[in-house]
Amino acid sequence: MTVFDVYLQQVINGLNLGAMYALLALGFTLVYGILELINFSHFNVFMVGSFVALYTLEAFGLSGQTVILAGLPLVGVLLVTFAVTMTVTGTIGVGIERFLLRRLRAVKGPAAMITTIGVSYILFNIVLLTVGADTHNFANPLPTVTWAIGGASLRLRDVLIWIVSAVLMIALTYFVQYTKIGKAMRATAQDPEAARMMGVEVDRVIMTAFFLGSALAGAGGLIFGLYYNFTSFLIGFTAGLRAFTAAVLGGIGNVPGAMLGGLLIGLVETIGSQIIGASWADVIIFAILVLVLVFRPAGLLGRIAPNKS
Amino acid sequence: MLQSAASLLGRPFAGIPADRRKGIGLIVLAAVMLLFPVFHNNDADIDSMANAMSYAMLALGLNIVVGFAGLLDLGYAAFFAIGAYFYGVFTSFQVMPLWHSYWAPLAAIGLVQKMNQGGPDLVHFTLSFWLALPLSALVAAFFGVLFGAPTLRLRGDYLAIVTLGFGEIVPIVARNVDSVTNGAAGLNGIQAPMIYGHSFGVSATPYYYVGIAMIALLIFISVRLRDSRIGRAWMAIREDEIAASAMGINLVRLKLLAFAIGAAFAGMTGVFFVAKLQTATPEMFGFPVSTMILVMVVFGGMGSVWGVVVGAFILQLLQSWFLQDLTQWVNAFGALIGVHWVQKVDLVQSIELIFGIILVVMMLFRRDGIIPAARKAPDLDFRAQHAEVKRGGFVGLDRIPRWEKRSGNALEVRGVEVRFGGLIALNKVDITVPAGGVVAVIGPNGSGKSTLFNVITGLVPASAGSIKFEGAELIGLAPHDILRKGVARTFQNIRLFPNLTVLENVLVGQHARLRSGPFSSVLRLPRTRVEEKRARDWVLDVIAMFGNRLTPRAAQTVTGLSYANRRRVEIARALASRPHILLLDEPTAGMNPAETLELAEQIKSLHELGLTILLIEHKLDVVTTLADTVIVLDHGDKIAEGKPEEVRRNEEVLTAYLGRAAKEAVMAEAQQAGAENVA
Ligand SMILES: Nc1ncnc2c1ncn2[C@@H]1O[C@H](COP(=O)(O)OP(=O)(O)OP(=O)(O)O)[C@@H](O)[C@H]1O
Ligand SMILES: [Mg+2]
Repeated sequence: MTVFDVYLQQVINGLNLGAMYALLALGFTLVYGILELINFSHFNVFMVGSFVALYTLEAFGLSGQTVILAGLPLVGVLLVTFAVTMTVTGTIGVGIERFLLRRLRAVKGPAAMITTIGVSYILFNIVLLTVGADTHNFANPLPTVTWAIGGASLRLRDVLIWIVSAVLMIALTYFVQYTKIGKAMRATAQDPEAARMMGVEVDRVIMTAFFLGSALAGAGGLIFGLYYNFTSFLIGFTAGLRAFTAAVLGGIGNVPGAMLGGLLIGLVETIGSQIIGASWADVIIFAILVLVLVFRPAGLLGRIAPNKS
Repeated sequence: MLQSAASLLGRPFAGIPADRRKGIGLIVLAAVMLLFPVFHNNDADIDSMANAMSYAMLALGLNIVVGFAGLLDLGYAAFFAIGAYFYGVFTSFQVMPLWHSYWAPLAAIGLVQKMNQGGPDLVHFTLSFWLALPLSALVAAFFGVLFGAPTLRLRGDYLAIVTLGFGEIVPIVARNVDSVTNGAAGLNGIQAPMIYGHSFGVSATPYYYVGIAMIALLIFISVRLRDSRIGRAWMAIREDEIAASAMGINLVRLKLLAFAIGAAFAGMTGVFFVAKLQTATPEMFGFPVSTMILVMVVFGGMGSVWGVVVGAFILQLLQSWFLQDLTQWVNAFGALIGVHWVQKVDLVQSIELIFGIILVVMMLFRRDGIIPAARKAPDLDFRAQHAEVKRGGFVGLDRIPRWEKRSGNALEVRGVEVRFGGLIALNKVDITVPAGGVVAVIGPNGSGKSTLFNVITGLVPASAGSIKFEGAELIGLAPHDILRKGVARTFQNIRLFPNLTVLENVLVGQHARLRSGPFSSVLRLPRTRVEEKRARDWVLDVIAMFGNRLTPRAAQTVTGLSYANRRRVEIARALASRPHILLLDEPTAGMNPAETLELAEQIKSLHELGLTILLIEHKLDVVTTLADTVIVLDHGDKIAEGKPEEVRRNEEVLTAYLGRAAKEAVMAEAQQAGAENVA
């Protein structure tokens, strides 16, 4: 492999990770845009999602990388798995909002954020106590077709991951831009008080944001498994922090920003690891987080929110 | 419930004065703690206690950052790690540079040893534990400032995520810099403390006693800081940053101070912890540890010194003592009812799950923790509540000294422009307030009056113009510096520090006039005592200006006060800094006519004592009685200026205020009145 091939390969890998971070970042951004709340439970909703996906695939009789599907069966299994995973994680997200965070909405200070840390911890430990600390081999029915591009290789599963992520993101953009509840969401993000007075049902909007964000996190969890071929109770924290950085980099609260930020962070991770070593990847990413927050808190695409004083 | 239980317990001791009771309680507690290893000679339990002490120390440190200053730090374990590795590296055999004669002086005082392992001579660091404690505090404090400096301008939730990032970076660095830290395997052979040539050895008891001493010291420091000028400033920042800076608190300095002191606590604890364990690995300092410390603080009560100590002990001992017993009981119960999984449950494994549940439950149902920080003052009894209102005015003001007479202009605003995006909130405005004068600013809603105050006090930037106060330029100064120069203000939408008492709120106003820093606050030097006493006396005099409206309520938190009283507290807080000019933003808003009259009288009295006043007011009768000059703003423009009665007749003002039709009505009325006069 030439140097060029190495970097091309890292770009391909980075786009996979980037797609996953983008899906996760959207969840942070949707909730933050409306509630100005950093939702730490999102980290582990993602992790739970990858286990839900794993068990759904196993319910189809798939295990490990031995059974490979193609054609209609593959599409069917994937569709069902995405649907089940996203419904389950979306419901978890709605539950967290409805039964815990809603009671704290009027409370000033860090109470809501601390609650989400607690929920994150609870999810983490429930999974740890039930499925154990082992790394789980992820069922992966995607065909192992590979194309060579020079010395780099592009796998069919990379392309599938990009297509699925792109479809989800386009669907979300359409939803936020054109549906009634999507418009209500944007209005609430801009000015909750005014939106309420204009007849927007703020509760429903917030619940929708949690559902969508958590559902996308579930999709991200499935993609994590398909990409890495494993999952574990530990995956939420690192991926979550990187995705949060992505949301901040793109401009938190900004939907296209989260997608852009996700892709960039994915590329930074793979290319940065290539240059200075994988064990330093998180240091680079946190450095980006700090620099963006300090020098350009509005991110790449966001605008500085008016100070609500 | 807790309170009533405490008062029941306290009943047999009711004859003993409260201060004494506290002292006796402390002595009993100290005796029990000191004698515990003697009566309960079980090394494992003593070790658990020593571990619990480590976490209590960490909780005390985090409490300063989160509880006092309100800065949510999710990566606090980073400082714990820094202290731990500092001691580990300088006492283990990990880092051994080549020997050179310039090491000799250090060898002479016992900090290093010359070693030979069959190659060239090497240096073995042998830093004393006792020296490492203060040094690690300094090192960790340095990193506290280093991490804090770029992040403190961020909003609270961003700060949380950035500290989380730093909290992750430190263990990553520890894992990656093998040559210094031995990577993931961690440092081994860390030296145990020595005392008079004897090593602490493997018994937990000596650590237990060192732990008690350290924890006593940290509690002492925490309590002293809490009850000082520094602690008040931290709590003011926690409650309302903007009001705190407008009251003269240097936000950056005090936040960094909180970070540094919190980090110093963790650094010392790190030394203690690894000296006891004699090993340090990156896993010991990750996010779970930061979270656990946060759980302890939240559980005990954010801001409550004794609360977080108790919280840390309960949770740590729950983990090491009770969960095992509980597991056995639950398993036995499972055997009894014949349910398989209940027989198998291991509660010790689920400690982190329990922590998560504690966080959520505390946030939902008891946000103040098991021992809340706010000491609730008794409500006023019926008589005090219904006491005849003694108004302040001249009677209450006799303890307030006259202001020095000055001549010329106190405040000169020239060509000041403020923009919010495309909106011009102030358009080249000129305003002059003569020393000793009262100037009123009026204008319709959204005309830029509050913005004028904000730009004078440094809360919003001006895009053009100059603001001179007593000859000095204010533009470009931070709000706390502007207060220092003698400009104090109130806010239209009252910005008090909700969880502080009336007295504490007003004392914050004195912040800029006091000098004691962290050291003199902890040591409570005579100078500090005198200063604090004088501040309290002065603040009580200021409060007394409002007759018996505030004085009996001085020990109550301000959230419980009536609207009018909260406005009075805010005025008192501004006056406490003994400003040269007082900026009042709609001081009588929300007051009934009698209260309005009373306050107007008090403002007038202050003016007669020589205080310069700039006032925003909607009630024209108040303006007329108080002001020498009235300035009218409309859409950011100054449209009129003059004596109250002149401005009242000004056409443009009437149009701006009332619209055309109303203006015509008023003009007609005036003409009629004129006609009647002629007749
Ligand atoms: N921080 C800010 N960001 C953006 N716009 C602001 C800000 N503060 C004030 N404004 C705008 O500036 C204009 C002037 O506001 P300001 O509060 O000074 O009015 P005001 O004369 O005090 O009105 P009121 O009588 O209602 O108190 C308003 O249009 C307001 O919306
Ligand atoms: Mg105003």
